[in-house]
Amino acid sequence: MPDLPDGADNLARAVALREVCKTRWGGRFVPAPATTSGHERLRCHSSEVCDLCAWLVQDVGYIFATLVAEERMEDGVTLTYVFQQDSSGSWLDVDVLLDPHERSVPSISPLVHAADWHEREVEDLFGLHFEGHPRLGEFVLHEDWPEGVNPMRRDFDPARALEHRDEQAAWAAPTIVTAPGAFAMPVGPVFSDFAESAQFLLETVGEDVIHTIPRFFYKYRGIEKIAEGQSTGRVLLIAERFSGTAAFAHGLGFCQAVEAILHCEVPRRARALRTLFAELERLRHHAAAITAICGSTALAVANSQAALIEEELLRLSGTVTGHRYLFGLVVPGGLARDLADEHRPLLQAAIGDAAGKLNALYDMLCVSSSFLDRLEEVGVVTAEKAMEYGLVGPVARASGSNRDMRARFPYAGYDTAKPMIPTEHEGDGYARLRVLFREAEQSAALIHAVLEALPDGAIATEPDRTRAGAALGTVEAPLGAAFHWVRLGESGLVERYRVTPPSFTNWHGFHLAAENFAFQDFPIILASFGLSNAECDR
Amino acid sequence: MAGWVIKGARTGIRSSAYPAGPETAIGVSPGMPGDTAVDSPSDAEGLASLCPTGAMTAHDVSVVVDRGRCVHCFRCAQDARMPAVAWDPGFEWATYTDAYQALHAAFSRSLHIRFVDAGACGACMSEARQVNNPYYNMHRLGFFITPTPRNADILLVAGPVSDAMRDPLRKTYAAMPPPKRVVAIGACAISGGVFGPSYASAAGVKDIIPVDVIVPGCPPPPLAILHGLLLVAGRKPPAPRSSLAARADGRPE
Amino acid sequence: MSMSAELLLVFFLLCAAGVAASVVAPARSGPTALAVIGAAAAIALLATGAVLMGVEPGFRLELWSMLFGGTMALAADRLSAVLMLGAGLVFLPVSIFSATYLRKYAGHCDLRYFGVCYFVMFAAIVLVFIAGDALSFLAAWEVMSISSYLLVTYDLDREGSAYGGFVMLALGEAGTIAVTIAFILMVIASGSLQFGDWRAVSPHLTEGVAWAVFILSFAGFAVKAGLVPVNSWLPLAHPVAPTNVSALLSAVIVNLGIYGIIRVNLDLVPVHGAVPGLIVLVVGSVSALIGILYATIQSDMKRLLAHSTIENMGIVAAGIGATMIFLASNQPVIAAIALIAALYHLINHAVYKALLFVGTGAVEAGAGSRDLDLLGGLVRAMPWTSAFVLVGVLAISALPPLNGFVSEWLTLQTLLRSAVLSSTAIKIIFALCGVLIALTAGLAVTCFAKVYAMGFLGVSRSAGAADAAEVGWGVRSPLAFLAVFCVLLGILPTYVIPVIDRVAYPLTHASALPALVPPFFLPQAQQAENLPPAFLAEFHDLGAQTGEGMLPGRGLVVLHRGQASNPVVFAMSTSYMVVALAVLLGLVFLVFRLLTLGRRTVRGRAWDGGLRRLWPSLTYTATGFSNPVRVIFHAVLRPTTIEDSTEAVATHFRTAIRLDHADVPIIDRLVLRPPMSGLRWLAELVRRMHVGYVNAYAGYVLLTMLVVLVIGLAILR
Repeated sequence: MPDLPDGADNLARAVALREVCKTRWGGRFVPAPATTSGHERLRCHSSEVCDLCAWLVQDVGYIFATLVAEERMEDGVTLTYVFQQDSSGSWLDVDVLLDPHERSVPSISPLVHAADWHEREVEDLFGLHFEGHPRLGEFVLHEDWPEGVNPMRRDFDPARALEHRDEQAAWAAPTIVTAPGAFAMPVGPVFSDFAESAQFLLETVGEDVIHTIPRFFYKYRGIEKIAEGQSTGRVLLIAERFSGTAAFAHGLGFCQAVEAILHCEVPRRARALRTLFAELERLRHHAAAITAICGSTALAVANSQAALIEEELLRLSGTVTGHRYLFGLVVPGGLARDLADEHRPLLQAAIGDAAGKLNALYDMLCVSSSFLDRLEEVGVVTAEKAMEYGLVGPVARASGSNRDMRARFPYAGYDTAKPMIPTEHEGDGYARLRVLFREAEQSAALIHAVLEALPDGAIATEPDRTRAGAALGTVEAPLGAAFHWVRLGESGLVERYRVTPPSFTNWHGFHLAAENFAFQDFPIILASFGLSNAECDR
Repeated sequence: MAGWVIKGARTGIRSSAYPAGPETAIGVSPGMPGDTAVDSPSDAEGLASLCPTGAMTAHDVSVVVDRGRCVHCFRCAQDARMPAVAWDPGFEWATYTDAYQALHAAFSRSLHIRFVDAGACGACMSEARQVNNPYYNMHRLGFFITPTPRNADILLVAGPVSDAMRDPLRKTYAAMPPPKRVVAIGACAISGGVFGPSYASAAGVKDIIPVDVIVPGCPPPPLAILHGLLLVAGRKPPAPRSSLAARADGRPE
Repeated sequence: MSMSAELLLVFFLLCAAGVAASVVAPARSGPTALAVIGAAAAIALLATGAVLMGVEPGFRLELWSMLFGGTMALAADRLSAVLMLGAGLVFLPVSIFSATYLRKYAGHCDLRYFGVCYFVMFAAIVLVFIAGDALSFLAAWEVMSISSYLLVTYDLDREGSAYGGFVMLALGEAGTIAVTIAFILMVIASGSLQFGDWRAVSPHLTEGVAWAVFILSFAGFAVKAGLVPVNSWLPLAHPVAPTNVSALLSAVIVNLGIYGIIRVNLDLVPVHGAVPGLIVLVVGSVSALIGILYATIQSDMKRLLAHSTIENMGIVAAGIGATMIFLASNQPVIAAIALIAALYHLINHAVYKALLFVGTGAVEAGAGSRDLDLLGGLVRAMPWTSAFVLVGVLAISALPPLNGFVSEWLTLQTLLRSAVLSSTAIKIIFALCGVLIALTAGLAVTCFAKVYAMGFLGVSRSAGAADAAEVGWGVRSPLAFLAVFCVLLGILPTYVIPVIDRVAYPLTHASALPALVPPFFLPQAQQAENLPPAFLAEFHDLGAQTGEGMLPGRGLVVLHRGQASNPVVFAMSTSYMVVALAVLLGLVFLVFRLLTLGRRTVRGRAWDGGLRRLWPSLTYTATGFSNPVRVIFHAVLRPTTIEDSTEAVATHFRTAIRLDHADVPIIDRLVLRPPMSGLRWLAELVRRMHVGYVNAYAGYVLLTMLVVLVIGLAILR
């Protein structure tokens, strides 16, 4: 990070950024006042967005986080490109205001590849055209969606049932492989086991897969649209339930955004318990991911052992929080339910037990050569690609990245209970498995640490619901960084809710791993990524 | 590899006593609000108004719960200003729809299941997967997962049925040979849950294909799903209706 | 003149008429004339063969005397007859098929030219079978070689036509040279051109001459038979040849190579010792495996069938090799069984390969392509063609009760009879060759399952296949004719084997008939052949005599009756099998109908995982189907990369991945390429002599004369 001083406080950084902008760009960009969540802001014209974003990513060391498009009543579409800088723990929003009639923006994807799917999504949902993007259309909305109907536009009525176009006879699989006898092997959307609905076209000439085309959004439920105009209480239900296996993390992300808008201070005990529950969810989630990996390699006993641990953690969650998936626990201002004192020893013992069992399982897996053969050097994602695709979570950490919201942008109680971030470098299936095990171990340690120093006091404060504004809530969900961008209107209702879940970010890079492998490795690569379509499709 | 065999043998049998006996472990179900008698009609109105999904309706001095709409938000149970709701800690919530017809007894101990994710959040799927884990082990009860709908007797569906999954769901159902039964698991699959109906999802599976058995819950715990399957097999009775509910809708218990 | 000779005269007259008609007939009716006269000639040939087989054991016609080596003669025996029958069986339907097929050439190719070559080749083929001396044999052979070359390169517009034809001609001529040298050695040894005289001297040949004759003649004939390592011309010539010519190439011309091997190395100059037999056996087995391996990975139907011809000729050669070894080991009966198996397979291959080539022609006419990757789903549009091709596919996959099964089963069984041999080394080689042939049989099923599944079942993968139309009876009738023979040769082996036994007897000096087809129907023959009562009783209980008194022939069970200690070595009956299969299938059908009585049948689409629609580009291709074989045998196939490229926009957006690999056949790589590059190097050296100065060339002439003088002087000394 050559241009900006490290570790400077917000004000100093703002001044420094302003200076750099002035010297580098001759004052072409207008630094705007910081956002509610403390993000620096630059405002630029759509024609300059490519230069600015490329400079930020390539020279200043910012990482693309998310793209928020918003169509407000009075003016046209606003695009907010959110960047994060891990070294300084700072954020920068680049705002592009389009005129009401303006329907075209230059694409930053050729320069900032992490923005690829974000732009495709905005293209489908807002009907904006991204000039220079090589692959637009048929992303969120499939080929039978009516032409010219963009559900996120203001004039779209979410309650209206859609008329579908006829089956597209002219549709052709978007294959790119030309080889004698090449074809695309379709997998899904209905799989042969308990698998989420998604489709993969495996381009092959038989036996070896050359290229994988994922087709998602079979589970698109339009949560961002149906959240509009709803109360925060209602939207919280949606935030928790669009991806039930990471309900607490996403609920927390939404609540943090709302708390930032409402300037609500969360009590210390609630913050500590939020950490505890988030780690409990991560531990259970990783146990489930390990179960899936063992299952994909047909290692039956290991699969059962991991499934036992998973169910025990589910029962533990049910016992101490009332719900096996921690639903209804987090609320703006704190938590809805406290951790009962009599459950503390139970929690301590059960977490210790689960960690011990996971350790024992890991030790056995590490000496099962038939298991390792199927994971090692399978589905490799290089560190360089992981960085360019902006991958997050355990997948990125298995490819040498140490990105973790808990360490870089501490929230809840992570400022005191600091997690150790395990990283591996091979980027293969085995590295991802090791990261899962080590993170699970870390989660157990964090839970113990929180329990050791659990503050007393209230678990919630009633927020002042009169404020309006927009803010970004960030959490490290079990699968990686999640961004919840919320705008509350004067009436206290949600005007825009934008979720960037880690599965969306990481599915984008899935094809890197799903290339040049044999058919029978596909379920293993899929399991070692462990991503959720419910989370991605929203 | 021998290590795994020993490990498995040493773990022993973990299967639940259910359905032969009661399940004694805690944390297997989040529970659900039950039909509640309150002191006054205004209390009933107040209690019912706490429910964000309209699962509770006030009938005079009682509150009747539509289990198919409850999403376990616990808001009815957490408001200190309101009368306490009668909490049902069990899990035998599954019940028939009006379309249900009993299967031949020959099916009762061997039923093959095809699962379709019609936009589920992942929790229902996770719980359906748990039914296969050693604690619940549906194989011991004669339920099996089959990879193709051609061999399936039961279609297990979760999710509100997202727009893009309507056709695949219909096709899967059409590909099943009769006799076939559809089990909708979870609030979304029954009523659309917090998502439907909207432009992107239907109000549950019944909008797309006929449903025979519903398993309420958000997500329904594994034992509830097991209860639903046993219901299809004719080996367990449906969830009983309370006297309050019977009085409310005027039908006998 | 004998009856057979008269019939043969009719045949040659018809061929002459064919040549004449081809020249004078108008272009429009040319194909019809060719078909009618060709079919008539084929019928005359079949009649000749039948008479030779049944009534007269042979004939000999002296034509005219020569300056040296006696008279030019035509001599036919039963070996000629069986080959004539094979040729006639193929020429008859192929001639009829040609009437329809040749129409596509009307306008841009000269049909007169085709007709002349066609009849000249037909006559030359038959002349090869009845040549009684070295000169007429070689003359007929050359005419056959050149006329077939002209037919293969008939459509010069086709890509690769010139190259394929050139390789065919070059290799063929190399083979002819080898055979000619072998014949010269025999002429020197016997002092005669007459084949009859060679038979007399062959036991007295020196070791060296015998070996030289065997190696040269086997190598020469192996070229025509398409055996490794001189098989490269087959997969090059077939795809470029007109389809009717392809059928003749694979079903008749290659048989000439086998005829040469049998005639020279078993009849005229029988090999001594087991080693030549082992060479033939190993060459045959390796040919079989390599042939089927390359066949399996092809997607062009004609190229696939060409490789499969190499495989089938390999199986035939393995049978001949086994015959030689058993003869050398003094096991004439088993040798006769092996020879019967080889000749039976030769005929079977001719029939089903002709069927499959004509089927390919039908597919090409109906669907516009013969690339399996672009076909699919033809069973709906072309039900007749599909049914006939299915018969051919089942037959070539050696599935009972069709003809391929009988001969391949017999060949494998004789290979398993190596127990009677004394040498351990030979036993091991037999066992290994048995393994190769068994692996070949397995791969053949994969290969032809692919042909049928990818060509005729599933989804149409191109517009041509989707709009395919059934062919007319002009193509369907030859298909039906050949399919009927595939079935008959399969279900009636006990009637075919006695006929072929008459061919084998003079060569092995033992009849396999009592051992192979026991007379279950004929009590007097049972006594004459001294069949043990216990043996008869055992088969009586199994119902082997069923049909006695009603059916002609000796029985319906093929078995190998061994010594008293081991009375039945192997046994099977496709005749009874077909009855049993029919009864079983009928029962299943009946039970099914009974169970589903009063029930409604619901037809649904194939389960596709909930896809919106199963697009053709999402279904398996032929290449994909056989790719596992390609992966497993990668070390043998070693494909070379033609193109591997990736195009991308802005580093990460890939827009195209192009891959193309070519399989260079292992034989080309190991055998053909090194001498070719050596020759090229030599040519490069010689080229340097051509400096373009007159003086230099005068110098060369002088130098040459000097060398000739020196050599001449040396010889005179």
